[in-house]
Amino acid sequence: MNPINKSVSGRFSWLLFALAAAFVSAALRRWQLGSAFERDTGLPIRGAQASVILTCVLVMAAAWFMILAVQQSLGKHPVEPGQARRWDLVFLDAGDPVYPILVVLAAFLALAAAPFLLRTGIGQWLAYRELAAAHAKDASVQLPSSNGALTIATAVGSLLSFLGLLQMGRDGLHAGRRGKGGFSATLPGIAGCIWLMESFRGHAANPVQWDYAPLLLAIVCGMVLYMDFAGMSTSASRPRRLLWVAAMTLVMSGAALVSALAEGSVADVLLLLAQGLTAAAVLWRLPPKLEHPPTMKGTPIPQSGEASIQEDTTDE
Amino acid sequence: MENWESEVERNWEEGPSLGSESGRAPEETPAQPEPGSGAKARRDASDGRDLYLNIRVLVGMMSAFVLTFTFVARIIVVSGPSMENTLQGGDLMLVWSLGYTPKQGDIVVLTQESYQEDSIVKRVIAVEGQTVDIDYSSGVVSVDGSPLKEEYIKERMLLPSYGEGINHVTVPEGCIFVMGDNRNHSADSRYPDIGIVDVRCVIGHGIAVMFPFHHWKGL
Repeated sequence: MNPINKSVSGRFSWLLFALAAAFVSAALRRWQLGSAFERDTGLPIRGAQASVILTCVLVMAAAWFMILAVQQSLGKHPVEPGQARRWDLVFLDAGDPVYPILVVLAAFLALAAAPFLLRTGIGQWLAYRELAAAHAKDASVQLPSSNGALTIATAVGSLLSFLGLLQMGRDGLHAGRRGKGGFSATLPGIAGCIWLMESFRGHAANPVQWDYAPLLLAIVCGMVLYMDFAGMSTSASRPRRLLWVAAMTLVMSGAALVSALAEGSVADVLLLLAQGLTAAAVLWRLPPKLEHPPTMKGTPIPQSGEASIQEDTTDE
Repeated sequence: MENWESEVERNWEEGPSLGSESGRAPEETPAQPEPGSGAKARRDASDGRDLYLNIRVLVGMMSAFVLTFTFVARIIVVSGPSMENTLQGGDLMLVWSLGYTPKQGDIVVLTQESYQEDSIVKRVIAVEGQTVDIDYSSGVVSVDGSPLKEEYIKERMLLPSYGEGINHVTVPEGCIFVMGDNRNHSADSRYPDIGIVDVRCVIGHGIAVMFPFHHWKGL
């Protein structure tokens, strides 16, 4: 097989396997919601087939993608004086519109989540203030579990995600400055921390772990995805783990998306779609470029006082 | 051990059978001659790497924290007087969730949505198959005909404002009967809105009061 065909098959095998696994996990979660919980109480039915099969599929997907990731062949990583690795170059390609389109779309989905979160957060804050005033007069009045602060913080986080993802998309269109391209991904990674805390707080009193475990795991996968993406600009890059995490982000986001839709949580749906699209973009771009990393030509040696330099990149 | 870990790390990054081109760890990248000005660029790159690693550790810790306190254990803030004198309002309690099956005498955290959305803290008085009898005239709770020795209760139990409520019951399969230690200020299984509690509503078992430090104790 010639290198181009091999690259295409590598690209499609990762993306298609991940999308198929995401679709299966979403379908199983849908089945589980319809059959594995008691209708009147919402409590889980012990040993329900759907729950067992969904667990098995998620574990098998994790193991399968880990095997694929470990076996993924890597070309020689691009090396440059003063920079141990340049794996971030695989995302900097002006010739492929799919990656930037997906990432910019993800950015706008993250942005779209902000008004929903803000509205919910402000509503919680106003309700909290009202009840706090009543509680001051009558101690028997129960305070709500949330004062809305974390939800508002998550809205701010989704704005950070927007900025970070937008920069990632721009970097995908224009060969970026060295050492900076991937760092914008830390913004959605940090925003994921706030989203994780907010989701955890929202379900802290829920005894049914299935109600929120897929969401929390999807958020954690997304956080690790963004952080590993950012790491591609440093010598701490882990390209194989990034592949695995991207695939698992798609799979877990598929299952969590069904939960979020069932709960009617628009903000969660939008944020899950955003990280799912980013994961798909990574799986589109990364596998073939790992085998055949872009090379640099005419790299200038940094002059005195220069913190960053531009360079030309070519692919394959 | 350290060598083994770094080897695993390297295998994860670089794979088990790479050609000679790609098996180098970062430290092994061949040193290349640099002019004096290249040192600044290298320092910048190193600063960026350090910053990235710090953020990555932070994100990793946050993930580990939330996952641990979701699937393994939880920290619950006690609210209200229903478990006095064992627990005080504002106490921070460590709750174990993983693989827990309620046992008689345990302090449990549970959510009964028919009563309220927030979780409540109570003591397990009886588990499935046991019969509970509450005699308000003597203030004694009996399980399977044997009066309980309840040194933990705050004061003698009186008839609640809502009447006797559920005071004689055999606990069905998969359920528990719970009561607060402050019997006269506790909404618990006697109260019809709460009633017998399904064990699937139990979040976990209180194992220690963590804060404030002068309240620290095992439960």
